[in-house]
Amino acid sequence: MPDLDVRGLAHVYREGGVRALDGVDLWIAAGERVGIVGQNGSGKTTLVRHLNGLLRPTEGRVTIDGTDASGLMVAELASRVGLVFQDPDRQIFASSVRAEVEFGPRNLGQRGTGLADSVRRALEATGLAGEERSNPYDLGYSRRKLLALASVLAMRTPVLVLDEPTTGQDARGVDRVRRIVAALADEGRTVITISHDMRFVAETCERVIVMRGGRVVLDGTPAEAFAREAWETLRSTYLEPPLAARVGQRLGLGSTPTDAQLIEAMRGGRVHR
Amino acid sequence: MAAVVIGGLLGPAIVVALAVLLPATLAGVLLRLMRTALLFALPLAGSAFVVNLFFFPEGRTVLFAIGPVTATAEGLSFALEILVRILAIGGAITLFYLTTPPATFVVDLERRGISPRLAFVANASVQTVPALVERAGQITAAQRARGLDTEGSAWKRIRGVLPIVAPVILGSIAEVEERTMALEARGFTRPGRRSLLWAPADSGRQRAARWLLLLAVIGLVVARLTGWWA
Amino acid sequence: MTLSLRGVGYRYAGAERPALLDVDLDLGDGEVVGIAGASEAGKTTLCLVVAGIAPRTVGGRIRGTISLDGERIDAWPIHRLGERIGIGFQNPASQLSQVAGTVFEEVAFGPMNLGIAREEIVERSWTALEALRIDALAERDPVRLSGGQQQLVAIAGLLAMRPAHLVLDEPTAQLDPAGTRLVADAIGRLAADGASILVAEQKTDLLATITSRMVVLESGRIALAGRSAEVLADPRLAELGVAEPSAVRLRRLATAAGLDPAPLEEAVGA
Repeated sequence: MPDLDVRGLAHVYREGGVRALDGVDLWIAAGERVGIVGQNGSGKTTLVRHLNGLLRPTEGRVTIDGTDASGLMVAELASRVGLVFQDPDRQIFASSVRAEVEFGPRNLGQRGTGLADSVRRALEATGLAGEERSNPYDLGYSRRKLLALASVLAMRTPVLVLDEPTTGQDARGVDRVRRIVAALADEGRTVITISHDMRFVAETCERVIVMRGGRVVLDGTPAEAFAREAWETLRSTYLEPPLAARVGQRLGLGSTPTDAQLIEAMRGGRVHR
Repeated sequence: MAAVVIGGLLGPAIVVALAVLLPATLAGVLLRLMRTALLFALPLAGSAFVVNLFFFPEGRTVLFAIGPVTATAEGLSFALEILVRILAIGGAITLFYLTTPPATFVVDLERRGISPRLAFVANASVQTVPALVERAGQITAAQRARGLDTEGSAWKRIRGVLPIVAPVILGSIAEVEERTMALEARGFTRPGRRSLLWAPADSGRQRAARWLLLLAVIGLVVARLTGWWA
Repeated sequence: MTLSLRGVGYRYAGAERPALLDVDLDLGDGEVVGIAGASEAGKTTLCLVVAGIAPRTVGGRIRGTISLDGERIDAWPIHRLGERIGIGFQNPASQLSQVAGTVFEEVAFGPMNLGIAREEIVERSWTALEALRIDALAERDPVRLSGGQQQLVAIAGLLAMRPAHLVLDEPTAQLDPAGTRLVADAIGRLAADGASILVAEQKTDLLATITSRMVVLESGRIALAGRSAEVLADPRLAELGVAEPSAVRLRRLATAAGLDPAPLEEAVGA
């Protein structure tokens, strides 16, 4: 399983000359569950697009498992880093769910029973088993989002990047995504999630990276990223820590970013009135 | 228009200079104009140029030869004429697109009595292009992330057309549907007159320029037809 | 003015099953009513039906009655309804007319369609911009604004029509946290000023803050209805595919762990 190494990464878009990334240093170990948060325009999407070569560095370097990404084509990098885009309707093109899910793995050279197996497992994980022959547009938005996720899951990449997997998703869909992330982590895969949902990030990620103005302004565990000391940084970028963290702080229980941790701390009898 | 009508090379060249390049410089868009116009006109102009250079039927005076094809002076002359005409037309269209804010154009059309719906469609057709381009770009990125090879052989690139074209079309249709609902709900289809907030400024200079151009074209056409300027 | 739906059902053209069935709903003056439900439960359809876009613009068949202060509005043409009921959609960009060079013209678009006097158009537009606190954006190009700002411009455009009711279909779905906050605050202020708003959302935390009443849809029918605080605490939310608001979840977990929820309530409310 590869690790990801980003050194001094900067990116300036040719159109408009915007410096969307301004010197980012990151090392992500194999199997980490990372959450990237920040406002639109903070550089989150620009950053992850460097991981599969869609964007090339203006300055700095991206290394995947020791190999410089700039030497590899996007089609090759796609076998190592799968990227699920936010809008499923800017990706879905096939007339059947099966064909849509097969597209990615086929491009990567999967065939025969291996291919059928990847597809079946991806469909099961996303709750779409039985919809193989359905037209994607007969599915609701929530399920189309899961379809987009399935089509990348089937590629069996060691690294998976999910761009806003829960935006516009209903409660059942969010639950499924949560379970998929956990399953991927169990398999030792690296999962990077970009999300606006602080609660989701606190609950599914072991590391939170906060971005603002093209830079990383906070990088730590959820407990660190949502601790009282970090609130000013968070709020400077219009983000709020999850409710559990705020409540825990008010009750004097230390950093309790998830609901479970808050309840646990309350149980410990350390509640001050 | 004048460029097409006037024979020879010099006439159209002057027209291009006056009607396209001069206003472009005045409006400060000369470089952008040249870049965009060239981009659009190049394929057509390029092929027309090559075809005429090498395959002009009345070509006699040989300039040079490449393998089985021969370039003739007559061919070159004709090719240049065609080139200038194409650039004139392409340049004029690009100039319009670059200097007229769509909103202004639409409002002006409405003011002169064109149905708002017609004016809207005219504007929307121009507006759609950048949105389509952006959408196609996003979709291409998503498909490349799934291993679609856009950097490889030509055959592979052809196979990559459907995964890009299908969502572009479907998505654009969906967006049009939503926009239609939103517009209708804001009374766009109400029968009767629409109020206008303002009329685009029409300075004396603009009006003078329009009349001058019109007279110039008429003059040139007449001159050509009466054989005064062959 | 009270908007009332009685026994309303709706089926899209060519669809096998109805998208809405037997819906009763009231929206009175100054009320903010929420609509929740899983994806495809009928939230958008309900919004389109209330605003009259279904069946007028999108076709399909409708049953039941829709009345405004007792008067049936089934036969009203869409442009007449637009003056009473404004509807906003999820995607900020597709609500822009694209024929407006400035935010001010965008907001004035609706009133211009109504053919009213120029002075009144100008006055209505400024009022709408101020109500949403975006008067400073009046000269900006709408296409270059952020998603949240575009949504506010869209809502201002609706307000300029002086509707009696506003229907907003997941206005924050595609926005980042800053944009969501902008829109949520704006809706809160409008409500406090007496606007009648029907808002569909997945974000139950948001609904908890701004709505007084709400309904939960399941497969086109109303499964739950009542005061927001009660509906959002209903144990059936999970099976209806609706997320529990964070505060409700914490309270439930605390009680399940045998803890006294009182200090929790205090801290949440603080």
